[in-house]
Amino acid sequence: MRMPLIVLALALCAAACAVDTASPARAAEHFSAALITHQEDTACRMLARRTAEKLPDSGQSCADALRELALAPGGAVTAVSVWGDEAQVRLSGDTLFLHRFTDGWRIRAAGCEPNGDLPYVCEVED
Amino acid sequence: MVAAVRWLKENSLSLAFLLLFLLAVGGQAVAGLLQFNDRQVAQGAEPVSLTHYVTSSSFAVDVAENWQSEYLQFFLFIMLTVWLVQKGSPESKKPQDAGPESDEEQRIGPYAGPGSPAWARVKGARLWVYSNSLGLVMGAIFLLSWLAQSVAGQAAYNAERLGDLRDPVTYGAYVTSPEFWNRSLQNWQSELLAVLSMAVLSIYLRQRGSPESKPVGAAHTATGVEG
Repeated sequence: MRMPLIVLALALCAAACAVDTASPARAAEHFSAALITHQEDTACRMLARRTAEKLPDSGQSCADALRELALAPGGAVTAVSVWGDEAQVRLSGDTLFLHRFTDGWRIRAAGCEPNGDLPYVCEVED
Repeated sequence: MVAAVRWLKENSLSLAFLLLFLLAVGGQAVAGLLQFNDRQVAQGAEPVSLTHYVTSSSFAVDVAENWQSEYLQFFLFIMLTVWLVQKGSPESKKPQDAGPESDEEQRIGPYAGPGSPAWARVKGARLWVYSNSLGLVMGAIFLLSWLAQSVAGQAAYNAERLGDLRDPVTYGAYVTSPEFWNRSLQNWQSELLAVLSMAVLSIYLRQRGSPESKPVGAAHTATGVEG
């Protein structure tokens, strides 16, 4: 009986143990705050590498691209969902998707609108 | 030394399966890690360590989904062979023995022998529990493994959905989802087919020396005879 109980405990733990919702929420708030205060360079440093690379058009910087997009203000955090290394943070004015890297949570997608059960349609995504 | 060798020989079947199990689960962990990291890199994420992987919901759901089906297989096999028979199969009782059998045949209560387990000698709840202990434990491990599959499966599925920029689903939505039932049923069908094959093929085919087979010279119609 011991091994199945260990697997059950691991499974339950994998699903629920010490889920840290504060860190992705904080990352989302900082990203949103950086955009509101027009610190686009700071916001760009909080993006996942692939997202930051994909964002600008040729000849444009990441900060320029964010400035041009002028994402709606994020506002306060209303819900956080963390599963494994992925998170979704809902702000009053935006929905963001984040991934946990070794140096912390980074924004994979922002300016997202729901699309039924299909993937969100995001202005910034990887 | 002689005692140790004898102990190894007397437990060689369990020890061999334990060793094979550990090798297989270790291999699964390494192969699973390589596959997981391949996907991570393709999605722009970082590769993870073996420790990270074997404590992840992705590994847990893959292990649990196979465990639950194996224990379900043995649970059904143990319980159904009490009442159902297959003429000619060494896995089956003789048709006239179908059912829980008499106390005398089961050597319980006043019919218990000197070597009978203590709970086979008593009456009431303890006798009932012991009389059904194999099925109860197999059934309990099946349910626990299936529960583990559902919990880990929801976590792995939701991580995948978030990675695809989709909303996560609730536990209720997950256990009624095609993903959960596809994982469960694809394992169940193979286990049920394996039992069916064993019950039927062992009527006509033999494996000399194996207790899972009838003796080579036994008639095809001989039921409940093990070699």
